[in-house]
Amino acid sequence: MVLEATMICIDNSEWMRNGDYAPTRFQAQADAVNLICGAKTQSNPENTVGVLTMAGKGVRVLVTPTSDLGKILACMHSLEIGGEMNLAAGIQVAQLTLKHRQNKKQQQRIIVFTGSPVKYDKKVLEAIGRKLKKNSVALDIVDFGDDDDKLEKLEALLSSVNNNDSSHIVHVPPGSDALSDVLISTPIFTGDGEGGSGFAAAAAAAGGVSGIDFGVDPNLDPELALALRVSMEEERARQEAAAKRAAEETARHEKGEQPLNSQDANMTEVGSITAPESENKRNDLMDDEAALLEQAIAMSMDDAKSGPSVDTDMLEATREDQDLAFALQMSVQDGAKDSATQTEMSKVLGDQSFLSSILGSLPGVDPNDPSVKDLLVSLQGQSEQKEDEDKPPSEDER
Amino acid sequence: MSAESTTAVQRAQVDLLDFVDWSSVECLNYNSSHSLVNALKQGYREDEGLYLESDADEQLLIYIPFTQVIKLHSIVVKGSEEEGPKNVKLFANKEHMGFSNVSDFPPSDTAVLTPENLEGKPVILKYVKFQSVRSLTIFIEDNQSGADITKVQKIVLYGTTVETTDMKGLKKIEEHGH
Repeated sequence: MVLEATMICIDNSEWMRNGDYAPTRFQAQADAVNLICGAKTQSNPENTVGVLTMAGKGVRVLVTPTSDLGKILACMHSLEIGGEMNLAAGIQVAQLTLKHRQNKKQQQRIIVFTGSPVKYDKKVLEAIGRKLKKNSVALDIVDFGDDDDKLEKLEALLSSVNNNDSSHIVHVPPGSDALSDVLISTPIFTGDGEGGSGFAAAAAAAGGVSGIDFGVDPNLDPELALALRVSMEEERARQEAAAKRAAEETARHEKGEQPLNSQDANMTEVGSITAPESENKRNDLMDDEAALLEQAIAMSMDDAKSGPSVDTDMLEATREDQDLAFALQMSVQDGAKDSATQTEMSKVLGDQSFLSSILGSLPGVDPNDPSVKDLLVSLQGQSEQKEDEDKPPSEDER
Repeated sequence: MSAESTTAVQRAQVDLLDFVDWSSVECLNYNSSHSLVNALKQGYREDEGLYLESDADEQLLIYIPFTQVIKLHSIVVKGSEEEGPKNVKLFANKEHMGFSNVSDFPPSDTAVLTPENLEGKPVILKYVKFQSVRSLTIFIEDNQSGADITKVQKIVLYGTTVETTDMKGLKKIEEHGH
């Protein structure tokens, strides 16, 4: 949970066309970058990540450090391969962007992907490393591609930067293993000895299987798979917390959440501009949808209220309209609070003497009026009935 | 705030250690086993074995924010004769400086430390430049012998607070030849 600003330096040189990492070196690198961005932003919401390319016409900063995952994923699309990688300039530009980060309390980190030969001297690299260390910038190097000369230089660079093991180097040999899978188990992903974050652990578990988790092949659409994975992870964590309170509904949740997950994935893909909003809304919506489901189920057992049914219809409409989703979220939040206080209310209502005293204080209501009395009795009976109904289904479910 | 001593231009100065905001103190290019705390904090700085040491090269950049606005009168920098600091630049109220921008603006004051200073003689600063200091940045440019590592034994800051002068905390500092 370290507060960190990270700059990722991507190698988009001609060497990236090589297919020794499936499907191409470039694609494998892009997947790894996406995963890293996700992991960083998840481990601490205030973390920022930026991206720059080192080859092509020259070093170019694509995204300045931001916590907006959508922006980062979007800029990965428009990358082109060409030219030669300029490692020294890349690192120096990265250091400069980190220096001008908005939140000065963040630790500085640079992650470099080197997939092509390094043309700089060892001495130059060591000098750069020392400068990084002096300014307390940590450096992670992901070395892939096959070049013996590189190894020595990169190790020298690492040792000149390394301060208390905060910098790491990972060598990824070519082969069938995806670059991202190899990275997941390294300290680059898990942070400095913190142990795997929930994200890394889940990603590793999912990645270990062929990868077809939610009916989506990660190779075909890594972003969608990523979004699904993340939302599933969040959902799992939340469910465990809510398990006691809504024990009988959790089973129904899992059936109901699958279609909802794909809906959320759509929303994140479409709204790249409004991505930060939709991320937050998605999380909030998930909470409220769960509350809605609860209400819907209670309603179907109860036949007491008609409010939630209106909301579930509106939920369909939100698949298209995100503004409406936001408005809905506001109104549903109130509804969710109501359902929580419902059981307390029923106890209060059950106390007839208390109720009649309240009614007496209301203008225009005479507690001795027979119709009022009947109403009170029926309310009390209904609340008892509801409690009885709640208990047997929970026993059945378990 | 009565000026009871008519002789001294400086009134009784206080050790500003109590007003340091420890949560935001930063030091760049220090060796992690010899950190800034060794030179600043009460018990640590008296210990001969504990000192602040530089890492990659001989320069050090120390950022000390204060919990309230203070006036800085003088500083004491103690170190060894060879590896103690020599040229020290002080910047008032400059947040988050880096080694690259130390030369961008003129320092509020510069001190060239002599071996006497390194023994414990305070360096009197340009008081007018340090009238309302929220944070102090100390840039140690090089050391006495030009060695690769700079070692600082102790740093003490003397001054007064702006809003209130805590009359109970007034301490006179011993000065040689003043």
